[in-house]
Amino acid sequence: MSDVSDNVELPNQPVPGTGKRDLEYYAQILEEARSIKGTSLWQDAWKQLKRNRAAMVSLVFLVLLAVLAFFTPLLPLQSPIYQDIEQRQLSAPSLSAVRLYPESIFENDEQLPELSDASKIASRKQEILVSTLWNNPGTISQWLIKMRLSIFGTWSLPSLCGTDNLGRDVLSRVFWGARVSIIVGIVATFVSLLIGVSYGAISGFMGGKVDNIMMRIVDVIYSVPFIFVVIFMITIVKEDQIAEVLEKWGIDQIKVFFIMIGMIYWLTMARVVRGQVISLKNEQFVEAARAIGASPTRIIFKHLIPNVMGIVIVYLTLTIPAVMRFEAFLSFLGLGVEAPDVSWGLLVNEGIQVITPIKTYGWLVLYPGLTLALTLFALSFLGDGLRDALDPKMKNK
Amino acid sequence: MSQPLLQVENLGVCFHTDNGTVNAVNGVSFQLEAGETLGIVGESGSGKSVTNLAIMGLIPSPPGEITSGEVRFRGEDLLTMNNRQIREIRGNKIAMIFQDPMTALNPFLTVEEQLTEVTQLHLGHSRGEARTHAIDMLEKVGIPAASRRIDEYPHQFSGGMRQRVMIAMALSCKPDILIADEPTTALDVTIQAQILELMSELQQQEGTAIIFITHDLGVVANTCHRVMVMYAGKPVEKATTREIFANPHHPYTLGLLNSALRWDESHGGMLRAIPGQPPDLTRLGNGCAFAPRCEFCIDECKSVVPSLVSLDTDSPESDSSDTENSDASASREHACIRDLPSLRKSEVDA
Amino acid sequence: MFAFLLRRLGWAVLTIWIVYSVTFFLMRSVPGGPFDGERQLPEEVERNLLEKYNLNDPVHIQYFNGIRDIVVNPIGEKFGPSIRLADYNVDEVIAQGFPVSASLGIFAMVFALLLGMTSGVISAIKRNSALDVGFMAVATLGISVPSFVLASVAVIVFVFWIPIFPAAGWGQLSQILLPALCLGAPFAGYIARLTRTGMLEVLGQDYIRTAYAKGLATRRVVVRHALRGAILPVVSYLGPAVAGILTGSLIVERIFYLPGMGSHFIEAALQRDYPLAMGMVLVYTCLLYVMNTLVDISYGVIDPRVKVE
Repeated sequence: MSDVSDNVELPNQPVPGTGKRDLEYYAQILEEARSIKGTSLWQDAWKQLKRNRAAMVSLVFLVLLAVLAFFTPLLPLQSPIYQDIEQRQLSAPSLSAVRLYPESIFENDEQLPELSDASKIASRKQEILVSTLWNNPGTISQWLIKMRLSIFGTWSLPSLCGTDNLGRDVLSRVFWGARVSIIVGIVATFVSLLIGVSYGAISGFMGGKVDNIMMRIVDVIYSVPFIFVVIFMITIVKEDQIAEVLEKWGIDQIKVFFIMIGMIYWLTMARVVRGQVISLKNEQFVEAARAIGASPTRIIFKHLIPNVMGIVIVYLTLTIPAVMRFEAFLSFLGLGVEAPDVSWGLLVNEGIQVITPIKTYGWLVLYPGLTLALTLFALSFLGDGLRDALDPKMKNK
Repeated sequence: MSQPLLQVENLGVCFHTDNGTVNAVNGVSFQLEAGETLGIVGESGSGKSVTNLAIMGLIPSPPGEITSGEVRFRGEDLLTMNNRQIREIRGNKIAMIFQDPMTALNPFLTVEEQLTEVTQLHLGHSRGEARTHAIDMLEKVGIPAASRRIDEYPHQFSGGMRQRVMIAMALSCKPDILIADEPTTALDVTIQAQILELMSELQQQEGTAIIFITHDLGVVANTCHRVMVMYAGKPVEKATTREIFANPHHPYTLGLLNSALRWDESHGGMLRAIPGQPPDLTRLGNGCAFAPRCEFCIDECKSVVPSLVSLDTDSPESDSSDTENSDASASREHACIRDLPSLRKSEVDA
Repeated sequence: MFAFLLRRLGWAVLTIWIVYSVTFFLMRSVPGGPFDGERQLPEEVERNLLEKYNLNDPVHIQYFNGIRDIVVNPIGEKFGPSIRLADYNVDEVIAQGFPVSASLGIFAMVFALLLGMTSGVISAIKRNSALDVGFMAVATLGISVPSFVLASVAVIVFVFWIPIFPAAGWGQLSQILLPALCLGAPFAGYIARLTRTGMLEVLGQDYIRTAYAKGLATRRVVVRHALRGAILPVVSYLGPAVAGILTGSLIVERIFYLPGMGSHFIEAALQRDYPLAMGMVLVYTCLLYVMNTLVDISYGVIDPRVKVE
């Protein structure tokens, strides 16, 4: 085994103009290069975002909202669906104590008198309680409601936001409405994301004629006031017979809703992603990667997708509030979420319906409206912050 | 002794950024006589552009701040003028042209609109007079079919043509001083030669003084009477062009000269770059700013900030101790505590 | 330019045809007729109704007849009779509602542009000042608060609590003001932000520095040199803005009880008046298309580098 130094001349020549020897010189350059610390796009973005106070406050607010919305069945709220027209119709916000229900709800139950076993009575009572709190709760919600009953019993927060014209507590309706509004916002955006990103990526990748045709389609759809067409479609879908057919296929109203809304907002995402893919295709770093032998998969996953993600996130932050606003809009018009489901838009609509020149019942509009506005506000600030953080031109500004 | 046309005295400019205060310009002084061309040479970050923007009052004020100095134009200090006063000087007595002709002209306005507004503003021309004058200027700078092309938009001109338009715009009011900030850097070499020739012709015709900012020593050799070399916001050497090329006194100047490619060199040699990086202007330490990169650096260099000292050009053997010179324009100054010419001589001898 | 317009017309025809086909198909996919409901109509009446609305013909005949009517018939008979407002043709309903919606929309747009651009320019010039922060906060507020919330609150506050504006109805200036403000508010906010960003970007350009170097005063630099470039993002936005105003008018007309196209459309949608709904969708499509074309043309007018092709 020969020693390396036999065949290779170790660098030891003087480098002109520097007064140093090769080894020393290169060592120095290496040292300089090492001392310059780079950061990844995401670390940079996070650092930048943290400095933006408005964005961070919004982030905290939104996370809090999401958590509260998820755990709503657990919270000691009144029932959002229990109507008490005689005693509590349209009462102003107050701090007076309230029970979850009057005893009378047990009186009307058919099954209860027939049960003799104490434990069966107890569980039947609990069933009634659970269904008072919400109609057809899903498994997780049921579990949370049961936990709530065991922790808080039937104690509920007073009607801090008043009651509506059917005597239902507005505070709890706002909370339960949050779930619908948020879920619609996220899922519908996800739908539009899925459609938009795939459409745009394919169009950008393929280029040529395929790209041309695909973008023409987008242009045509863009020039149509799609919202009107969607409203049209929604009214069709709500038609009883059609709704039945869809139900048979397992697509319930809400899912239809997601898809309809998602269909409006994928256009911009598609355009943007396509633009990004096209410019990335021709970027020098792609050529450079290919030149050093990177495989297409590696190029796609390590280079292209991270670069597209940035802009996708930015448009996400624009789409979610737009979707939420649209859902509220539809529900407000009566074309969206239907009773007994609750959404913020629905609540504002109910509020506006009861206005008379004598009494305006402002709280019915104020609380759901305020919550919706705050959420959109927070999303807006967060979106701005993300955009600033992810835009490389904004660095160090 | 007549007053120099422009006298800059101890100018200091800094920028307040998130990462600290950048001392872009640190005590720059120089003079400009009528009709002469002064070259300001340095790498990016040396402060050459900032110095000249400060003269024009174009330093953006929230991050930027003029910390010291006077800029006397015909005796009056430009830095103390209010907005209205300095606007009368800009474009009128002192004009500036910029590096990138692609972006320096407004793409939304025709060339005519951009040319005429200068003379309408400063010389009180009517629309018609201004247009005639503008066509005249365009012809002077060598734009063919000027009377037709004047109504076109900048994007319809090539790079070299656009720079000519910029020159026409700058010289419209026959300014006393033209500040040219790297006017040919963004252009093709052949176009570069044309523009330089044009500038020198115009200077001869009108007697305009020119401050020529560049990093290209070849350009300096061709066009400038005197040169000021800047590094890290300070001047490090001032001399006539011939002197600087023949006998540089500062190691940085030497480095610049050495790194320039020459057609009479043999192939196969290594490129001689100046080692190291330009300094971080937020953290200028003690001692000479060039010390980390200087091959003649000794211990004293790292602790003493060298001041600019002048040499008597009449005596070829000059020592680096201060000698006051009576005739300012012939003074040769540099900022190095060592005696470079003798060091080089001894190296060659060795 | 002529070729451009011709091509645009072609695409317009294509777009309208597609919308027509989609809505037609959707309408016909509802099983049963529009008259199957809770009330059972006597056979005679039902037959007459079906005749009136051309529902007796086979589907494809209906389809082509519909197209023929739209293209050939004079205005007033293009869309046939409405279902719920049976005495009127859809055309007449649209014609009656159009001026209302148009004035509302125009007022709102003008308001949005004036307020938005002024505050955007001021914000950009006085960047990071209290004025800037204030304007942008209000702008964000305007964007975030959904128009129906704003309108509802506005009605409560300005109609009932502090009775400045009348509650409903149409005919006088005071009746259009509040709805137009509510409709235009989110767009004013968006335009303010766009103008500010556009202006900031332009102000950082080299040619602005050149303008200052020529000795021009700030006002002149902003108005003559900067504004044109800064407006471009706003012009691009006008297309989606008009679309937004069209949809926003649905809400505002409903809340303020304005007899415009928007309220008719909602009613049509809620009450299954498909001919009316379809007619309106087509009209809205036309409107939007014309606006988008105008925007494209004006883009070419403002920016000389753009060739309108």
